[in-house]
Amino acid sequence: MNVELTELTRKFGRTRAVAGVNLEAGPGVFGLLGPNGAGKTSLLRMMATVLPPTSGTMRLLGRDPGSYGPRREIRRRLGYLPQTLGYYPGFTVAEFVEYFALLKDMPPRQVPRAVAAAIEHVGLGDRARAKLRTLSGGMLRRAGIAQAIVNEPELLLLDEPTAGLDPEQRVAFRALLRDFGQWATVVVSTHLVEDVGAACAEVALMDAGRIVFHGTPADLIAEGEGRGAAGDAPLERGYSAALAAARSAAAA
Amino acid sequence: MSRDDLLTGGHRDAAPPDVDLDRVWLGVAERVWRRRPGPVERAAGRLLRSPGLARALVTTPSLLLGWVIASAVILLAGVGMTLGTGAPWVALLAPVVAASGIAYAYGPGVDPAWELSQSMAVTDRMVLLVRALAVFGLNAAFGLAASAASGAAAAVTFGWLVPMTAVCALALAAATVTRSANVGVAAGAAGWVIAILAGQAVGGRYIAAVTDSALVLPYLAFAACCGVVTFVATRIPRGTR
Amino acid sequence: MDDDELIAAVARRDDVALRELFQRHAPWLAGRLRGVLPAAEVEDVLQETFLAVWRGAGGYRPGSAGGWLWGIARRQAALWLRRRGPAELLLPALAADGQDHGDPAEAALSRAELARAVSALGPEGGAARETWRLMYVEDKPVAEVAELMGVSAGTVKSRAHRARRLMRAALRHRAPARQGGGR
Repeated sequence: MNVELTELTRKFGRTRAVAGVNLEAGPGVFGLLGPNGAGKTSLLRMMATVLPPTSGTMRLLGRDPGSYGPRREIRRRLGYLPQTLGYYPGFTVAEFVEYFALLKDMPPRQVPRAVAAAIEHVGLGDRARAKLRTLSGGMLRRAGIAQAIVNEPELLLLDEPTAGLDPEQRVAFRALLRDFGQWATVVVSTHLVEDVGAACAEVALMDAGRIVFHGTPADLIAEGEGRGAAGDAPLERGYSAALAAARSAAAA
Repeated sequence: MSRDDLLTGGHRDAAPPDVDLDRVWLGVAERVWRRRPGPVERAAGRLLRSPGLARALVTTPSLLLGWVIASAVILLAGVGMTLGTGAPWVALLAPVVAASGIAYAYGPGVDPAWELSQSMAVTDRMVLLVRALAVFGLNAAFGLAASAASGAAAAVTFGWLVPMTAVCALALAAATVTRSANVGVAAGAAGWVIAILAGQAVGGRYIAAVTDSALVLPYLAFAACCGVVTFVATRIPRGTR
Repeated sequence: MDDDELIAAVARRDDVALRELFQRHAPWLAGRLRGVLPAAEVEDVLQETFLAVWRGAGGYRPGSAGGWLWGIARRQAALWLRRRGPAELLLPALAADGQDHGDPAEAALSRAELARAVSALGPEGGAARETWRLMYVEDKPVAEVAELMGVSAGTVKSRAHRARRLMRAALRHRAPARQGGGR
């Protein structure tokens, strides 16, 4: 198990962004769905060791991120793409990816090869020495994905990774997810339901800080059948149905 | 038929199936795209025992050439003014110059990729510490040189190092807590102005802020407090925030 | 961009041009090298070839990009073969062909090159190829070749001339350091 979360909670003042999440995940691609404000980003930030939990326990890659040494070990094996990633405009793509490779304690001898591989993997091979300020939004996002994968992480956390990518790039990205999902835990937080269906083996749906559905994409589709739920595609209908069911249960 | 056709057999042959051209290209790209660290970065890497920290150090915004030159120019102007008017301008300017350098060294207000930096094995706090020390050291060296060049008395030449430490610590704390480098600069500058005016009001000489040896301990204590504030603001709190 | 422009761009340190050049030419270069070397070594030699291209693009004179590239690949392959020693030369075709190059590496490459140049003459049994075979391999005089092929001596001479021209063009852009007599 790469991720073990038990009753994980995060409060901001009086709001509970994450309200008691229980989750276990091994290698594979794990989709995290939910409306805005559901707590997906806070959950991902906690798993990225950026935000400390208010209560509950978390074990990442078999270690407790509460203490410095294990946390550093986790971070060496972690790849994280935040929802909004700032860029150093004067850096080239290669410099940007290399910078974070070094900050992840990668041995310097391995860095050039890893940087080249990451850049080619996200399809930026013809922009490697272009300055970030010359890149489009989708390309910047892909540069962000490149820095996340450069150290071949065992835990890859991606928050809205496909924002700004065109359909062809999204297809390539899903292939990347499947590649990494073979031996790493990949958690993708998105509100693009079709991304989840195509690439994820498991899906969790969050609402108001809780996980209200956890299963396979097929299970989610089954939720939406025959209930007249809103949505143009089976997965969307499942999503709406599961959300509606959870909210009515919470209200009851 | 062109000459090339003779060589390629008149068509583009497909690569043999057991040759991995992607792998070959990666081997080429790795060498072509590689960045070679400069001597300063290599030395820093050995000293700090961390190539990542060294890279973070040499990319400090306020250690970039433009910034360094600007600082030097300001202090040179101070030298000029001191030689011209006899007033210890260097001692008055140096703390503010250093404070703004510190505020712009690192932190959420300056680093656009701050969120990502907080998930790195080389922690943002280590980067902050190393950069702040480097900026402080550089400014101190500049200031000492400028002060000596302006022929100021020994008490003044070294006297401003302590207030400078306090002002820098204030700027750093303010910048970190408010997540804004500009607020840090403003806080540092404001704090220093207040100290000078207070010195004038109490002792009748504005230079008292620099030369009064009774202020050394208060300055250092203040700097220590700001250091604690910075430390707290950058740590990962355990559910207390 | 055509090949000449790409190489000029590479000389200006344009890595995107190098990448394009690689995509265009690496496949056939790999195929050629595969005729002489095992697959894993083809990868290493091809890598060294393009690094040499990156370093040496400034020395390219516009003309035949393919020939220039093959020349570099050849040099790198010969370097590799020399380093590894004769045991690595797996080609059964490395039997002596009457030409003493003094260097098994060069011999292997010459053989492959020669085979390709010969194939540029056309299919076996075709006029040009047959003429070449009779006149230069079997060393027959013009009159005898004319009789065997059932054409006039003039026709034999012009066919031989054409065959030499074709082969010269095919072998033209080899490494300048190559030893061996003229062809």
